[in-house]
Amino acid sequence: MVEIFDYDLVIIGSGLAGLRASIEAAKTGNGKLKIAIIAKNQLMRPHSISAEGGSAAVLYTDEGDSFDLHAYDTVKGSDYLCDQDVVEYFVRQAPLDILELEHWGIPWARRDDGRVAQRPFGGHSYPRATFAADRTGFYEVHGLYDTMLKYENIDKFHEQFVYDFIIEDNKFKGVTAFDIPTGEIRIFKARAGIVATGGLGRLFGYTTYSHLVTGDGLAIALRRGMRLKDIEFVQFHPTGLVPSGILITEGVRGDGGILRNAKGERFMEKYAPTKKDLAPRDIVSRSMMTEILEGKGFKGPNGLDYLLLDFSAIGAEKIKEKLSQVREIGNHYVGLDPVDSPLPVRPSAHYTMGGIDVTRTGFTGVTGLWAAGEAACLSIHGSNRLGANSTSECVVFGKIAGEDSAKWLLSDISTINLSEGERSHAENFVADAYKDKGDNDPYEIKRVLWSTMDKDAYVFRNERDLTEGLKIIKGLIDRSGKISISEKGNVYNQNLIASLEMKNLVELAEVVVNSALERRESRGSHFRTDYPKRDDENYLKHTIAQRANGGLQITYRPVTLTKWKPEARVY
Amino acid sequence: MDTITVSVYRRDPSLEKEGKFVDYEVPREEGMVVLDAMKYIEKHIDPSLSLRWNCMAGKCGSCSAEINYKPSLMCKARIDSLKSGKIRVSPIAAYPLIKDLVTDVSENWALLKRIPKFTPREGLEKPWRISQVDIERSKEFKKCIECFLCQDVCHVIREHNSDYFGPRHVVKAASLDMHPLDAIDRSEFMNKDAGLGYCNITKCCTEVCPEEIHITDNAIIPEKERAVNLSYDPLAMLVRSRRNKGGKK
Repeated sequence: MVEIFDYDLVIIGSGLAGLRASIEAAKTGNGKLKIAIIAKNQLMRPHSISAEGGSAAVLYTDEGDSFDLHAYDTVKGSDYLCDQDVVEYFVRQAPLDILELEHWGIPWARRDDGRVAQRPFGGHSYPRATFAADRTGFYEVHGLYDTMLKYENIDKFHEQFVYDFIIEDNKFKGVTAFDIPTGEIRIFKARAGIVATGGLGRLFGYTTYSHLVTGDGLAIALRRGMRLKDIEFVQFHPTGLVPSGILITEGVRGDGGILRNAKGERFMEKYAPTKKDLAPRDIVSRSMMTEILEGKGFKGPNGLDYLLLDFSAIGAEKIKEKLSQVREIGNHYVGLDPVDSPLPVRPSAHYTMGGIDVTRTGFTGVTGLWAAGEAACLSIHGSNRLGANSTSECVVFGKIAGEDSAKWLLSDISTINLSEGERSHAENFVADAYKDKGDNDPYEIKRVLWSTMDKDAYVFRNERDLTEGLKIIKGLIDRSGKISISEKGNVYNQNLIASLEMKNLVELAEVVVNSALERRESRGSHFRTDYPKRDDENYLKHTIAQRANGGLQITYRPVTLTKWKPEARVY
Repeated sequence: MDTITVSVYRRDPSLEKEGKFVDYEVPREEGMVVLDAMKYIEKHIDPSLSLRWNCMAGKCGSCSAEINYKPSLMCKARIDSLKSGKIRVSPIAAYPLIKDLVTDVSENWALLKRIPKFTPREGLEKPWRISQVDIERSKEFKKCIECFLCQDVCHVIREHNSDYFGPRHVVKAASLDMHPLDAIDRSEFMNKDAGLGYCNITKCCTEVCPEEIHITDNAIIPEKERAVNLSYDPLAMLVRSRRNKGGKK
């Protein structure tokens, strides 16, 4: 059975960007638009809840912060690969949107005088990370979710696995999904859509990402011929907790935490004499891996050699108040209380700087389709994102995508007709997935993918490893078409989901590694040991990857510079 | 190889009338949690096992189950913290079963929607000024990850067909009522519409809360007390009417 729903706007993903978009679309539509928000998890459990440290915004210009300073920090942090016009817009908008969240009940931390407090964050030259303890994203998600509930014309669909976007003649017409609890196929017809499905972090085995972040929206966009931009740039967060990879917030270093090697040395003094432990994440992660490769780390399980994050300068009182969740994670997952003991850490895959190529309003170029949040690439983060800029981005540009799509819908009077081809494709997709096509085990393919990405596309990359990795990945793509899904029940079939996610991941892996191979320079998070210098002459440009003529096509597009000319990046 | 035995409840209600417990042998690894064992079963022994999980870090609230009869998050239940012998894993019992360890907790979405929303006082000067102490008070309740373990353990919900919303929802009301700039009081709603009177303060909910929210002492009892005071105490009613006009401090 296929159930067909009819909406004006369908939002795919219920993280910060999706939630914020839904609210703004409902507001702008003023009761005139029928909106659906759908996600593959229960709506209030997106990966955004894992964001810990803060949301960047310029709140105190009277005390020395400024839009130009935030923009410059972001530009320099991006290693000059961001589009500066978009960054300038972003930093001006962020304070308004961050303060608005307070009116929706988000418990921002306070100064003694009752005004909003901010904490220092890596790569920011002013303490501008607005925070709610060490669970900023969690409180933001719940505040937005509650606010969304006020709007009657937003229908909420939990646990829907979206497997395709319907696009005909470059016009968006809806999405196809199955309802995970029943297995029922659903077509969400819609005149407009917003892709807010997050990044692709589960390409890596050692990662801070939740299990659900498998790049589904990006993989579908790729298959549908849409453009992915700057996808080789994956951020490795310096402090993933060994062995699980769970995030330990940068707020720890913002509040005075120090990284030390096995000799007890504060090694960041050597690599970033001014910012030290609060240098941008790409630099700290590289410095850590250099120390580890030089044998100055500790031996860890499964090759996860590590360094130590020392909390002693912070003090027990402050740890208990501002870093309570980190403390709980330490106690629970490694049996170490940061009040008395350092935690074992190592760079862990954390953020996807690239994404679906969009304009400043999140428009994808496909009529009726927008993207926002980590799934989109507006080119704010360039080749390395600064901490605390992503949650702000989700709020700022989720809002804009919601507003822009709703305005367009109010002026557009077309109706949606699905072609027979699209309808039967939607209906037969799952049945086809169930057909036995070979004896490959989807879980095993994923394990090989993880070990390949963790080794060949990690902090340090080179031609040989990437070529080798690409060969393995192509083999995996081939095998991913020759699998059998052994469990064929309709109800909550995780075997089916795992297989479809695996397919999405291996296809995206090819784009990441290919784009990385083609970028023969080192910039931001992408470091090539065989091309260790930044090469502005040849590579101050965005990578655009697109499926064309049955293959993957890589082209480039210039970067937009406004005020800041590329210069050496010293911290 | 050192192994553990996990006895897992299995049932697909679309196919089976009765459920059964199936034993699985899983390799023991240092520091492993019950969710690791479940994932091992799914990947290596029986891919038809269904469970809901996501963050593996105790933050998303997906993987609620009853482990050795105690409502727990599977990602936080370390094997070495459980008493030796076979480990029994079953779905939370307060909600309809979808399959195996997955339950349908969606009735909570409808209940949450009924609780009056955050309503800031009017005419506040922007940006707002709030003291950190006041922020902390409502933040305790905002920590709730909606795992619904408190709902599962609550005997009012498990055993009586009452109209009590349950502890999670009292925590929600408290999180809004404790916001220093919120203009409305939800205790009357909680008592009249949300059945708070059915709670007889056995504190079971507090015991299972993975976020260690003092549900009974800090949310339920104050909401009960305020409702009583507001309903029957003329002085309190006066205070309430003033607060609503002038805003509460």
